[in-house]
Amino acid sequence: MISTSTKSPLKTHPLKDTTTPNLLEETFDYSLPPLIKFDGPIVEYVDGKPVEFDPKSVKTRDIFITDTTFRDGQQARPPYTIDQMVHIYDLLAKLGGPKGVVRQTEFFLYTKNDRDTLDRCRSLGHKYPECTGWIRAVKGDFRLVKEAGLKESGMLTSCSDYHIFNKLKFKSRKECMDSYCEVVDAALEAGVRPRCHLEDLTRADIEGFVLPFVDRLMEMCRDVPEGQKVKIRLCDTMGFGISYPGVELPRSIPKLIYKLNRECGVPGSRLEWHGHNDFHKVHVNGATAWLYGCDSVNATLFGFGERTGNPPLEGAIFEYIALKGDLCGINTPVITELADYMRSIGLPIAENYPFVGKSFNTTSAGIHAGGLRSDERIYNIFDTTKLLGRSPRVAITDKSGADGVAVWVNEFFDLHGEERINKIKLAKLCRWVMDQYEVNKRLTSISDQELEAKTKELLPELWEQYKHRFKKR
Amino acid sequence: MESVADRVKKVTARVLKVDPKDIKPEQHFAMDLGAESVQSIELVASFEEEFGIEMDEDAALSVETVGGAIDFITKVCKEQGVKV
Repeated sequence: MISTSTKSPLKTHPLKDTTTPNLLEETFDYSLPPLIKFDGPIVEYVDGKPVEFDPKSVKTRDIFITDTTFRDGQQARPPYTIDQMVHIYDLLAKLGGPKGVVRQTEFFLYTKNDRDTLDRCRSLGHKYPECTGWIRAVKGDFRLVKEAGLKESGMLTSCSDYHIFNKLKFKSRKECMDSYCEVVDAALEAGVRPRCHLEDLTRADIEGFVLPFVDRLMEMCRDVPEGQKVKIRLCDTMGFGISYPGVELPRSIPKLIYKLNRECGVPGSRLEWHGHNDFHKVHVNGATAWLYGCDSVNATLFGFGERTGNPPLEGAIFEYIALKGDLCGINTPVITELADYMRSIGLPIAENYPFVGKSFNTTSAGIHAGGLRSDERIYNIFDTTKLLGRSPRVAITDKSGADGVAVWVNEFFDLHGEERINKIKLAKLCRWVMDQYEVNKRLTSISDQELEAKTKELLPELWEQYKHRFKKR
Repeated sequence: MESVADRVKKVTARVLKVDPKDIKPEQHFAMDLGAESVQSIELVASFEEEFGIEMDEDAALSVETVGGAIDFITKVCKEQGVKV
């Protein structure tokens, strides 16, 4: 508890008066998402002892994103066609850029369609994302990985007793571990890197099963080449993981990573976090994994995945840029392209969904629109025009006021700086908007199409002057 | 020729739907005459039309009283060479 006793007197905070604003642009550089800066280490108590983590290390560590849009993402929706998957894969490559920020993506291997998709994606010749597989930890399934010629495959190695006993019906933990290790052995023998998915990790007996299993995996791959050593995916299958310090195992993400990384010796480059959003924690849990030493966060486009979904890949992208302080070759406008494509093939995206929803940077309140009109930074999270091809907008309602109408018209005609039309010139349109609510008792917002028609009708001179500039939506 | 004051009162009466005889120079557009946000914009737009002038948006919208509008418009007309 924070002490307020006389031993630690309250601190006074004198006003630092100024006539020039301090916009904190070292952090809020409008051309990037707001940067995430740290001013010291993070301390977590593990087994009763303080342990330090250096969050600043993310700037130099090779952290990255892996994608599971075609695996977990596809478990939450009707199957994609092969053409759709190939197109999405192509866009993922474009998004992640030459440094491979989107490093890998995984594919089912069970049907002919699965295998054809994999072949067509690989034929595009992109270095990133690298294609990997996903199988159950069953020896027979491993044949599929070998036939597909993949260098790496995930395999389901569920680790909670819910799964070991109640789902997979093993008679003992030892029987279960032996069974998993047989498949891992087969992978190593075939020269394929096994990626063990510790399913239901945040509900597992960490000391009693998980750490002994990982110890054994580390032992098994001690003498294999570096590129083939076992990777560990930390699967928060039910979204039980907790990001903040002080939480007990198995729910503590910091402690899970500490145990695997510093006790079992799995390097961060071979640790991957896979979360679910059942408790609205999915994105921050992924980011937490990065900070505590896990280099890879597994994500899906727009968070689509089993039940409540996975870490949204586009969210991880902006987190990555904010942590690194640099675009790192990422082509952010592709996020908008991907969202448009997903919508075109029937994937619903909520209007208020961050970064890509129709209204993610649309303001309705007149007082906000007034701010937007004088300096778009006041109500826009970053330069969304540059980074996402989406300029800030206003939705017109009875709360929008003349400022809202002015922002809408200027955005519509793509007018900037001195060219911007002031609200005096828009009085007739403002009146029409207010009459919709005051006279006609309207209860819905006014669509772009209605405003476009009314601009033409009520402001014919402006329309004639600027009609060649209006933006197609 | 009508005076600036009469023309300002005429426009104000039309836009705010009040009797011109009831409009006094000391009256506040919003508090005394009930001008709402959009009506303030309409008033400025109507003054521009009536006098054939262009006013700076922020300066015009910061005028609060009828008398203030008469003075402001007289000044703008002079600056823009409009005879009143």
